[in-house]
Amino acid sequence: MLKALIDRELLNNLMTFRFAAVLLITLLLVVANTAVLIQDYEQRLESYNDAVKMHQQDLRNSKTYSTAYLFVDRAPNPLSIFNVGLDKRLGNLTGIYHGFVPTLWDAQMHGTDNPFLAFFSSIDIVFVFEVVLSLMGLIFAYDAIAGERERGTLRLVLAQPVGRGQMLLAKYISAMACLLVPLVLSLLLALLLLTRSIPLSTGDFLRIAGIVLTSFAYLSAFYLIGLLISATTRRTGTALMLAMFVWGFLILVYPNLIRATVNPGGNIQARTKSAKNQMQQIVDAYERERKKFLENESTVETASRFSEAVGLHTDAHVDPETLSPYLENMSLISEIPPDFEQYVPLAKKYYAFVEPLVTDTVDRLWIIQKQALDDIFVRQATIDKALLKLSPVGIYDAATQAWAGTDLLGLRDFFDAARRYRRIIIDYLYAKEAFSSREWFVADKGAVDWSTLPEFTFERRDVATNAKRALPDLFLLLICNLALFMVIVLIFIRSEV
Amino acid sequence: MIWHITKREIYGNLNSLRFALTTVLLLALMVTNGVRHLREHPKRVQRYRDAVTESLNRLTSHTDKSLYKLAQYGPGNFYKKPSPLHFCANGGELLLPDTVKVEDPPVFATDSEENILLEGVWNLSYPDANLQNKSVGPDVSQVDWAFIIGSILSLIALLFTFDAFSGERERGTLRLMLANSVPRHTVLIGKFLGALLSISIPFALAVLVNLLLISTSNAVHLNTEAWGRLGIIFCLALLYTSLFLALGLLVSTRMQRSAVSLMILLLTWVTFVVFMPSTLASIASSFSRETSFDEFWRQRNPIREDLWDKYEEWIWSDELDDKTLRGKSKFYTETAERSERWREERLKYRSSQVYRARVITGISPATLLQHLIEAFAGTGFERHLQFVENAQRYARQLREFIVDTDRGDPDSLHIMNVREGMSQKPISPEAIPRFEDTLSLSKDFNTAAMELLLLVLFVVVLLSAAYLAFIRVEV
Repeated sequence: MLKALIDRELLNNLMTFRFAAVLLITLLLVVANTAVLIQDYEQRLESYNDAVKMHQQDLRNSKTYSTAYLFVDRAPNPLSIFNVGLDKRLGNLTGIYHGFVPTLWDAQMHGTDNPFLAFFSSIDIVFVFEVVLSLMGLIFAYDAIAGERERGTLRLVLAQPVGRGQMLLAKYISAMACLLVPLVLSLLLALLLLTRSIPLSTGDFLRIAGIVLTSFAYLSAFYLIGLLISATTRRTGTALMLAMFVWGFLILVYPNLIRATVNPGGNIQARTKSAKNQMQQIVDAYERERKKFLENESTVETASRFSEAVGLHTDAHVDPETLSPYLENMSLISEIPPDFEQYVPLAKKYYAFVEPLVTDTVDRLWIIQKQALDDIFVRQATIDKALLKLSPVGIYDAATQAWAGTDLLGLRDFFDAARRYRRIIIDYLYAKEAFSSREWFVADKGAVDWSTLPEFTFERRDVATNAKRALPDLFLLLICNLALFMVIVLIFIRSEV
Repeated sequence: MIWHITKREIYGNLNSLRFALTTVLLLALMVTNGVRHLREHPKRVQRYRDAVTESLNRLTSHTDKSLYKLAQYGPGNFYKKPSPLHFCANGGELLLPDTVKVEDPPVFATDSEENILLEGVWNLSYPDANLQNKSVGPDVSQVDWAFIIGSILSLIALLFTFDAFSGERERGTLRLMLANSVPRHTVLIGKFLGALLSISIPFALAVLVNLLLISTSNAVHLNTEAWGRLGIIFCLALLYTSLFLALGLLVSTRMQRSAVSLMILLLTWVTFVVFMPSTLASIASSFSRETSFDEFWRQRNPIREDLWDKYEEWIWSDELDDKTLRGKSKFYTETAERSERWREERLKYRSSQVYRARVITGISPATLLQHLIEAFAGTGFERHLQFVENAQRYARQLREFIVDTDRGDPDSLHIMNVREGMSQKPISPEAIPRFEDTLSLSKDFNTAAMELLLLVLFVVVLLSAAYLAFIRVEV
């Protein structure tokens, strides 16, 4: 019986104008946008490759350790084509230096793009689905029950020995089968375009499968919302109007209302200030210790002569906005004149003392900085995101971002790797006894050999991690589906035909 | 007769569900918009005032010393005046820089005791878009009028017209109506006006509530010109709504069933309003490649080196004779001019890319409306360029002023930008022209004219298409 019902619904749905229109428009939009997105990705990849090359060149040109110019770049994520998330928006270039901890918030852009073009909002495949799939779901559902009621066929069907739940299930299955066609077809076409120009790994395909699964759950949620409207209204006209307004509210209005109504706490400035003061104290203590060392080791006059001899340039500050400490001792000289040669032992001693101190200070500062950054930048974003999840769009967006690895956690993976790399570099410097070497500050007796320097590598986390991050949202979406279905069944069972 | 049909339409709509939902939705959006503006705008104004005061202080601190100091350090940074009509269109406020910077004079050479030997003069620099966006929250646009009108009102316009004819045809009332001695165009115009007025009622109500909120608070001051601009924006909203009404009527006349008509309308709407702007912008921006940063540096460096060679004989001379001073003066001035020109070209190149993208996205009426509202609200990219132009004009004016004032000092050698060659007397800050970031309505009209005409053209074409379609359609 269920099969007969499904067959009936399937035919009803497939042979309609709306099915053809939806199929056409989805294919058109997805293919057009994929083509644009691939081009955009390739441009970003090219600019990444250029940046890497340039930074390698710059490092090779660095003659001394203290003036080393070491940068790491973040490659664009190929899955950003599906959901761009934060991939394009946040910095993709950060310096590696022992007197500084790389964080997401002081990363820069290596992009050679025109920054003003960021003016135009970017689009991704998930956005197309977000808008089109939800519309499709509602359009297929609004007259599913109300229409049959109007035409009187509902009575006819229910006069047969068919359970009401069974009938709903048949409607649901057949509509979803129809809706899957444009979703899967357009994705296949997108993948066809994608794999021609961008090599994807097995992991990527699994991630894409996750995105498809989430899209399916999202589509189903909107179909059920439409069905709920249809079950509660008597007339298709009313159902349609309600469905359209619900759609407008959930897709267009609600996500934008969040930003307007949630007030970023005024205490953020206070938090920044207090963290900065706290950090400044540690920086001041470092400065005192550094000066004390110079006083102990030399007279005032030799200290000033010494700084001149090695071209000492020191800097110790905390950025008031991103709270990044920056402790620097650089020697801006290319050679040491013979009469300054006497200061070389002192210079070696100075650097051997001060650079480990810098490293330790920055590490201690990082503990405060990390906490403060979370409070200042992340907490508000997390609240916004959680509020956004009241609309299925928010859940869908968060889940697909997690699958694609373009969410905050995915981006932070890169900066974690950068911080680990900083550790590796520091260990390398210790191993090489670089701090107390002459090459630290001057290159007149031979420049630094960078060939043994460990290279920075960053691999996106494996699919399991992506899945772990995406599954809570996916489950949330599935629970929504289940709850909606149950509500519909309850309403439909109790309603009069 | 037209009025009769219009009235019938309005009465029909007033009782409908869509009318109630529209009213609630628009009211909620407009109230949110107003409340938010009241909360944000005072902060913006305060930031602007603080910045301007600081920049003025900087100016006075130099004028108190000498005319030379003023010529060397120039005015303080320029700041963009926040528009009181910011709630109409925020115009990418987060991305656009709000300042034109006055760079400190470059130090060309120092001796071993850090004494400055060669020091140039100030020049203008244009900060890039604030891409260093530190927000990691969800990426959402703000609820401004441009969004409410562009996305929501257009959707509502379609929902009001999709069944205008197909619905009547389904119910059979269309035949009835046309059986009377009513010309078809009267029916069409009546339907159009009816829908337009039915939408105008909740929209006007929401706008009134919004403006009431904003104008009664002390935080925001709207002057006569601002009200005029608001009036224009309201008319634009109606024009834009007419466009979608015409589209709705056109599709509705051709379709036998209203469900089909709505499908077509929604898919068209999604394509033109939601997707076109972004997709077209991406396509447009990929046409022309941006020169990379180091490429620009490579272009820049020869500019300077070239000048070093050209004025070599005077730069390092300690002589105070006329020729040396003039040589130095030329070196300083030209360096400043060249780096300014270089930056300006960079800005121009980038703006031309943005313009190209804007023109192409103009196919979408939603973008047209966005640009128009931005133009009249005094926000957005055009406004930014206008501000840059104002700053440049002022910079020229100030430089002329310095030359004129210097001419008035008999002790001066009248050699610009060199310490020894210029007046050392302090000047009164009142005498200096002030920077004014002005906007003129007529100028805004000029920049918007093209897009306005395009929008009108769209409306006219769609309306006549609807007319033709309805005339020829069989009932």
